[in-house]
Amino acid sequence: MAEGTGRGEKLSIWFFVGILPLMYGIILLPYGIYEAMGHESPTTLHQLHPTMWWGLLLLIFGAFYVIRFRPRKG
Amino acid sequence: MPISCSHLLLLFAPHQLTVLAPIDIAVLALYFVLVIFIGFYVKGSTNTSEEFFLAGREMSAWIAGLSFVSANLGSLELMGWAGAAYQYGILAAHWYWIGAIPAMLFLGIVMMPFYYISKTHSVPGYLQLRFGEGARGVSAVSFALMTVLMSGVNMYSMALVMKVVLGWNISFSIWIGAVTVAVYVMLGGLRSAIINEVLQFVLIWAGAALIPILGLIEAGGWQNLKAQIAANVGSNDYTHLWSTLGSFRDNPMGVHWTGIIFGLGFVISFGYWTTDFLVVQRVLSANNLRSAKLAPIIGAAFKMAVPLIVIVPGLLALTVLKNPDGSMMHLVGQDVAAATGQHSYNEVLPLMLIRYCGPGLLGLGITALVAGFMSGMAGNVSAFSTVWTYDLYGAYMKKDAPDSHYVSMGRWSTIVGMLVSVGTAYLVAHAASIMDYVQALFSFFIAPLFGTVILGMLWKRATRSGGFWGLLSGTVASIAMWIWVQRDGAALRYIALSPDARPMAENLYRALWSFLICVVVTYVVSLLTKPTPVAELAGLVYGATEIPDDDSPHLWQKPIFWACVVIVVFFILNLMFW
Repeated sequence: MAEGTGRGEKLSIWFFVGILPLMYGIILLPYGIYEAMGHESPTTLHQLHPTMWWGLLLLIFGAFYVIRFRPRKG
Repeated sequence: MPISCSHLLLLFAPHQLTVLAPIDIAVLALYFVLVIFIGFYVKGSTNTSEEFFLAGREMSAWIAGLSFVSANLGSLELMGWAGAAYQYGILAAHWYWIGAIPAMLFLGIVMMPFYYISKTHSVPGYLQLRFGEGARGVSAVSFALMTVLMSGVNMYSMALVMKVVLGWNISFSIWIGAVTVAVYVMLGGLRSAIINEVLQFVLIWAGAALIPILGLIEAGGWQNLKAQIAANVGSNDYTHLWSTLGSFRDNPMGVHWTGIIFGLGFVISFGYWTTDFLVVQRVLSANNLRSAKLAPIIGAAFKMAVPLIVIVPGLLALTVLKNPDGSMMHLVGQDVAAATGQHSYNEVLPLMLIRYCGPGLLGLGITALVAGFMSGMAGNVSAFSTVWTYDLYGAYMKKDAPDSHYVSMGRWSTIVGMLVSVGTAYLVAHAASIMDYVQALFSFFIAPLFGTVILGMLWKRATRSGGFWGLLSGTVASIAMWIWVQRDGAALRYIALSPDARPMAENLYRALWSFLICVVVTYVVSLLTKPTPVAELAGLVYGATEIPDDDSPHLWQKPIFWACVVIVVFFILNLMFW
C-alpha cells in the first residue's frame, strides 16, 4: 500500500513530496546557470547565484524522494 | 494561532510591489496542476465516512505530524509574525516556542490517548461522550461557524496579498483559490487536505528558507546582526527573549512574563493546540496509538525551527532593508502607512523576498504563500465539513443514515462551506474590520474549551452540568471582557492587572481569566450535581481508563523519549536567546 494516499494506490505521499521540488529543480537549475553566465537579475547577493544553487538543492532533494518512493510492481 | 488580519492586510502600500516573470508563472501553475491531480488521484480511496473525514485513520506519525504543524503554518501567520518580529523583536518567537511546544507535547503524551481510544471523530464528539449533548452543541455550532468564516478571511487575505504584491484582481484570486480548494477537498476529503499540507510544509521551506540564509550572509552573521539592530533601534531589547519581561515597561511588546507563561504558554497555547479541532483532526488520522502520540511530538520538533523563516527575516529587516537612496527603510504602523504610503510592518516578508529572489525564486516564494493560504482554507473547510456532518447534521437532523449518505453530505457541505467562505471574503472586502471581529470570536471559545476538555479528561468528578455551565460561563466572560475593553480602553489595566499593559497583553490575560472562570464554575457546579458513574467514564477520563501500551519495545521508539528530547532542545533555545 502506498503510504498516505489510500488502499490500493501506487503513488505514496512521499512521491508527491519529491515530484514538486524535482520539477522546480528542473526549472530553476538551468535558469540559474543562464543567470550565472552574466544575465543576473539585480537582486541583493545575486553574485552568489542563489537560483542556481537552490535549484540544484531542490533537484537533489526531489530526485531522492522520487526515486526512493517511486511506484513499484506489486 | 491567528494574528490580527486587518492589521496585517490594510497596511500594504497602495501600489504593487513586483511582477511575475514567465518562469514564476510556470512555478505557480505547476503547483495548481499537482494539487488538482492529487484530489482526483485519492478520490478512489475516499468512499467511506472514515476515509473522507479521518483519512481512513491510516496516516503514519510523520505524515500526521507534518500535517499537524503545517495546518498552523498559514501565510497569514508567516507574514503577520514576521511583521511582529520587526515591530517587537525576538519576543515574537514566544508564539512559536513557549506558545506551542509544551502544549504540543502535552497533547501527544497526556491527551491523545483519550482522544484516540475514545474513537471520537471530533473534539465536539469527545465533549458529547464526556459531557453530553449540551456541551457538544455549544462547541460544534461555534466551531462550524468560526471555521467557515476563517476560511473566508484566508481567502480574502490571499486575494489582497496577491493584489498588493502582484497587482492581481481580487475576484480572480478569490475564485481561483476557492474553486481549487473546493475541488481537491470535495474529492479527497481530509486525505487530500493532509497530502497538500505536507506538500505545503516542504514548499514553505523551499520558498522561504533562502531569506534568512542570504540575510544572515548580508548581515555578517548572528552576532553582527544583533549589534546592528542594537545600533539601529538604540536598544538591546529586540534580541532577548526573557530578560526584558520583568516589567511591562521594559520590552517593546508591553507584556509581563506572567502573561507570557500563564496566559500564552499555558491557557492560549494549550487551548489552541489541544482543543482546536482543525489541528487535532490531523492527529486523529494516525494509524495507531503510538503514531497518534508521536505525531504532535514530531510537529513540535519542526515547529521549533519555524522562527528561522519567520522571526529572523523580521529581525534582518531592521538592518538590511534600505530605501532606493541608501537610507534605512523604516516600516510603520497601520495609520501612518495608510496616510503616507510607506511600507508597513507586515510587508516584511514580501519585501525581503523581493530583495533576495529574482525570477524563478520569486515564483517559488509566491507559490509558498499561495499554498499557505490555500492550505488554511482547506484545513478550515475540511474541519467544518466533519463537524457539520457528524456533530450537527448527523446528531440533530438525520441520525442513523447509511454511511454513504454522510460521505455525500461531507462533499456537499464542503462546497456549501466554500461558497459561504466566498461570501465572507466579499463581506470582508467591504468592511475589513469584520476580520478582527471574526478572529476575536475565535479567541472567545479557545480558552474556556480547554478548561472544559482538560477537566473532563483528568477529573472524574466533573459532571455534565459542570462541563456545560463551565464552558458557557467562560465563553460569556471572555466576550464580556472583550466588549469592556472595546468600549473603554482603560479597562485593560484591570484585566492585565497593570496600568502599563499594552493591547498585546489583553488577549493573554483575557484568556487566563476566562479559563479560570470556566474551571471554577465547572468545579463548583460539579460538586453540587450528581456524579457520573465511573463505569460510564471508561475510555474518556484519567483514572477510569486503562491506557493501552503504545507497543514501543525500545526506549528510542517511545513517544515520551522523543518528547524529552524536544523539551531539552526547547530549554536550550530559550537559554541561548535569554
